[in-house]
Amino acid sequence: MVAEKIKTKQKSTVKIPEMKYNIEKTPDSDRVTQFLNIFAAILKESNYRAALDQYTKVSAKCARCTTVCHVYHATQDVRDIPCYRSELLLSVYRRYFSFEGSLYARIFGGFELTEEHISKMQYSFWNCTACRKCLLECPSGIDHGLITHLTRYILSEMKLTPRALVISTREQLFGLTENTSAIPLIALKNSIEFLEEELFEAFGVNIKFPLDVEDAEYIFFAPVSDYLMEAETLMGIATVLHTAGVSWTIGSKYFDAINYGLFYSDLVLGRVLNKMEEEVKRLRAKKVLIGECGHATRSATFLKTFWHGDDNPEIVNILQLTHKLVMEGKIKIDPDKIKEKVTYHDPCNIARQNWIVKEPREILKSFCRNYVEMYPGGADNYCCGGGSGLVSIDEIRKYRTTIAGQKKAEQIQQTGAHYIVAPCANCKKQIRETLTDNNLDGELIGLHDLILKAIVIKGAKQDG
Amino acid sequence: MDSLLEFAKGPLFRFSFAVMILGLIRVFILSLINGFEAKSKAKDKVIPKNFVTKLTLGFILPIRAFRVKPVYSFISILFHIGLLLTPILLFDHALLFDNSIGFSWLNISLSGTIASNLTLFTISAGILLIILRISDKKSRFISRKQDFLWPLLLLVPFITGYVCGNVVISPLTYKTFLTIHILSGDLIFILIPLTKIAHCVLLPISQWITARAWKFVPEAGENIEKILGKEGQKL
Ligand code: SF4
Ligand code: SF4
Repeated sequence: MVAEKIKTKQKSTVKIPEMKYNIEKTPDSDRVTQFLNIFAAILKESNYRAALDQYTKVSAKCARCTTVCHVYHATQDVRDIPCYRSELLLSVYRRYFSFEGSLYARIFGGFELTEEHISKMQYSFWNCTACRKCLLECPSGIDHGLITHLTRYILSEMKLTPRALVISTREQLFGLTENTSAIPLIALKNSIEFLEEELFEAFGVNIKFPLDVEDAEYIFFAPVSDYLMEAETLMGIATVLHTAGVSWTIGSKYFDAINYGLFYSDLVLGRVLNKMEEEVKRLRAKKVLIGECGHATRSATFLKTFWHGDDNPEIVNILQLTHKLVMEGKIKIDPDKIKEKVTYHDPCNIARQNWIVKEPREILKSFCRNYVEMYPGGADNYCCGGGSGLVSIDEIRKYRTTIAGQKKAEQIQQTGAHYIVAPCANCKKQIRETLTDNNLDGELIGLHDLILKAIVIKGAKQDG
Repeated sequence: MDSLLEFAKGPLFRFSFAVMILGLIRVFILSLINGFEAKSKAKDKVIPKNFVTKLTLGFILPIRAFRVKPVYSFISILFHIGLLLTPILLFDHALLFDNSIGFSWLNISLSGTIASNLTLFTISAGILLIILRISDKKSRFISRKQDFLWPLLLLVPFITGYVCGNVVISPLTYKTFLTIHILSGDLIFILIPLTKIAHCVLLPISQWITARAWKFVPEAGENIEKILGKEGQKL
């Protein structure tokens, strides 16, 4: 019912806010030639040709994908049809890079790449949150998330990437602080110290955030913004690891799990992961532990691709580790603490392929008596609306929270839950803003924030 | 007329049938090569097999089809079944194959009412699909010319075939219809590998290709910078 209300409000009164992100200054040379040159270079070196070749041949144009895209659901604008968007790039591929297409064009004419077409792609491919939900319904097997990723890659080589992402990435790769939030090491140390004090105050136990410990079992990379915005999540994680006696460390030279490369550039993806690799090797950690973050976890799986040598470490997401610890009885969580209704939002990057879906649910159900599913959930979940880097672009907040996030808002309302658990830095920011901007009830919270409220710590002082 | 008919069901039929088979083999092998090339260039070669299998089988069988647009899916599935079964299993077709390529399945072929009912089903499903495509704003918007023309073209042999098999008409009309029937069939055969109908052999490997394309080439990013003359540049 409430969902209906939001929907009608959307449809009747709210105009679709512009989805125009800011870019840095663009070079003024011929953009069409640039685009084609970059596209050619990418096709030559990468593996995308296989997919494009296939997609141009099989697309059925059946419009099934329109039924599940949260963006199209909100805008009802035909230009947001997944198959239409992907066709923007596929038509360029067909015309200039496929044998049949270029032959046909030479004889009969037809599509030509223009400035206008490039502008269309520039915005359209940042409307899609690359959540890949539409892949689940496409009988032709077309992965619009892949096409979005590739097109953004081409656009990034033309400097048409949202400025917000470029600035963060530049700081991460070439800046002094080497992380996307530009947190200097000294600030990180202060923040860690502060968190340790908070934990001591709360429980009377010394819970540490180990820094630069060599040969640890796990080296921990959080999405670095957590150190600024998600203190509770980090404290929850440290407490779980402390209680279970896990050997872990944070690296002082490189500690950011965020990798915007997954959203717009294979070059960035690889370079960021090489920084991670250096730090893992420096501290000789055995496994890589990623914090509560979907895209960071998925991008870390590409470590296997970019690692020099074959001894790449295992990638573990904190949900998987905590799940294992709960199941083995190494941590106990008090089932009487959380009385409110709890629901769970699946971050696309870890749920879409049914990868980390059951673990968080089993953890939650082990101590939340009043757990309800969001529908649809798991691999079929809807994107929070801030996926694929959109959440970091502040100038499009209105678009994100009223359009891209509309479906999620409806879903959340339908559960009637008090706590909405979202174990992902992106989803957390996006859902919080969506709740605020749409005046919705409910509290967005991380999984480990919730665990922190109920975990049983040996030697802890009794609280009220 | 007689010689055209003979030509259409003799040499032209053999030719177009060969074009279809060889063309489909070609596109399938090209896609396979693409996929395996991607595999050899990638460093991480492990793909999510369960996910790929689930989606591939889900649409071939087609258990997943009804998750969204159930009506459209149902009609589309009927249409596909009709398209596949009627031309292959019809007694007269089996005979044609027997005569022209010396190989057939006369003993399992359909004749009489089953075949004509199947044909009617297919024709109705085809017409419904066209109506659905035209009446829905979304489908209409993304459709290319071939998406409207294909169902129309596919209906030609079905309608003419039905008329020849079930309606009492003058011998001349019969021959004309039969000629159109066979000619359109030949045309369809030739077009299949060149158009979206190639999905009949490509679909089973779509998900696999997607999974392969997600496995990146380690040096690609840096090599692309070199090709573009951007080596050493800071973003
Ligand atoms: S990937 Fe997600 S946002 Fe993009 S078109 Fe598909 S469903 Fe829509
Ligand atoms: S579901 Fe697939 S084939 Fe159908 S319109 Fe969408 S992308 Fe195209």
